[in-house]
Amino acid sequence: MNQLVRFGIVLGFICLAATFVLAVTYEITKPRIDAELKKEEEDALKTIMPDADSFKEKSIEGIKYFDVFKKDDLIGYCIRATGNGYNGYIRMIVGIDTDGIIKGIKILEQYETPGLGARIVEIKRGDKEPHFLKQFVGKSAKTVEVKKDIDAITGATISSKAVTDTVNKTVNEFLTKIK
Amino acid sequence: MNKANIGQKLLLGEFIKGLWRENPTFRIVLGLCPTLAVSTSITNGIGMGIAATFVLLGSNIFVSLIRNIVPEKVRIPCYIVVIATFVTIVDLFMKAFTPLLSRSLGMFVPLIVVNCIVLGRAEVFSSKEPPLKSILDALGMGLGFTWALILISTIREFLGNGTILGFYVSKTFEPALFMILAPGALLTIGILIGLLNYFTIKRK
Repeated sequence: MNQLVRFGIVLGFICLAATFVLAVTYEITKPRIDAELKKEEEDALKTIMPDADSFKEKSIEGIKYFDVFKKDDLIGYCIRATGNGYNGYIRMIVGIDTDGIIKGIKILEQYETPGLGARIVEIKRGDKEPHFLKQFVGKSAKTVEVKKDIDAITGATISSKAVTDTVNKTVNEFLTKIK
Repeated sequence: MNKANIGQKLLLGEFIKGLWRENPTFRIVLGLCPTLAVSTSITNGIGMGIAATFVLLGSNIFVSLIRNIVPEKVRIPCYIVVIATFVTIVDLFMKAFTPLLSRSLGMFVPLIVVNCIVLGRAEVFSSKEPPLKSILDALGMGLGFTWALILISTIREFLGNGTILGFYVSKTFEPALFMILAPGALLTIGILIGLLNYFTIKRK
């Protein structure tokens, strides 16, 4: 019994010290982590909608999006979308104009296989944007489909389809809700 | 004077052994899971190596400091708490200061907790040795792990992706995709261990 109490005290003390150290680290790093995420998103918005002057964050029935303004006119929306890829989720921002035509897509987070699925974000030599995502620009988000509008990446049909379906599904859901 | 010299030599030995004679990847063959997974690019390899070295250093120091108060029977939970604390610190700092690297290493930073190199060193070394020796042991093992990762990832990144540190090396070289997938890692590690054994045994 005595021994058991000693075990408990030692282990408890170590855990307490660990908790304290972690709480301090968390508080120190949290503002920095949040700032990084925010900056990443802002950069994404600007690349998708280069003519926009301002973005206003909104949310409708669980879908988070941004109203995109040029001067005072609403020129489109940037919608946050998450879909299931081959290895994990794929998090992205989809930019559409008011008619539902895709202006641009930026993938923020993905865990696809390097060399195969991860080529959805591969940038070819001399290019600025990933070649796979460039295909989406100008297509209607409501009907976009792999094979018909989008060439899938060789050996990565699941990842290609995941991106396309997520764009299609999220935008359709968004458009029905906003009307 | 002589005694001090021998002491220094012993300390140096604790550091050197991790680099070659007891190299965690090629000799003890521990921590293969993260090695297989993250050695797809040199940046990942270096990042993982540094992260693991930091965790090793932290856990070795603390395990060594508390070695006399931790009861034998609950030592594993105690070590795991210490290791997990350092892993979480590394993870949070990487997210804050190197978000891109943190993203490409993904799940494997939190998984350093179960990296057998770290628990292995706590169990066989720092739980029995004083802090200074444990620090040298951690640095040696960490650097040994890091150079092994860099070697493996250089081979895999070049053969599998045609790049070195992200730069294209040759325009005509067509990379073999499978080198960047799991089988490529197993082959690379197997051949490297084989070569090392072949040459070291022959020399004797």
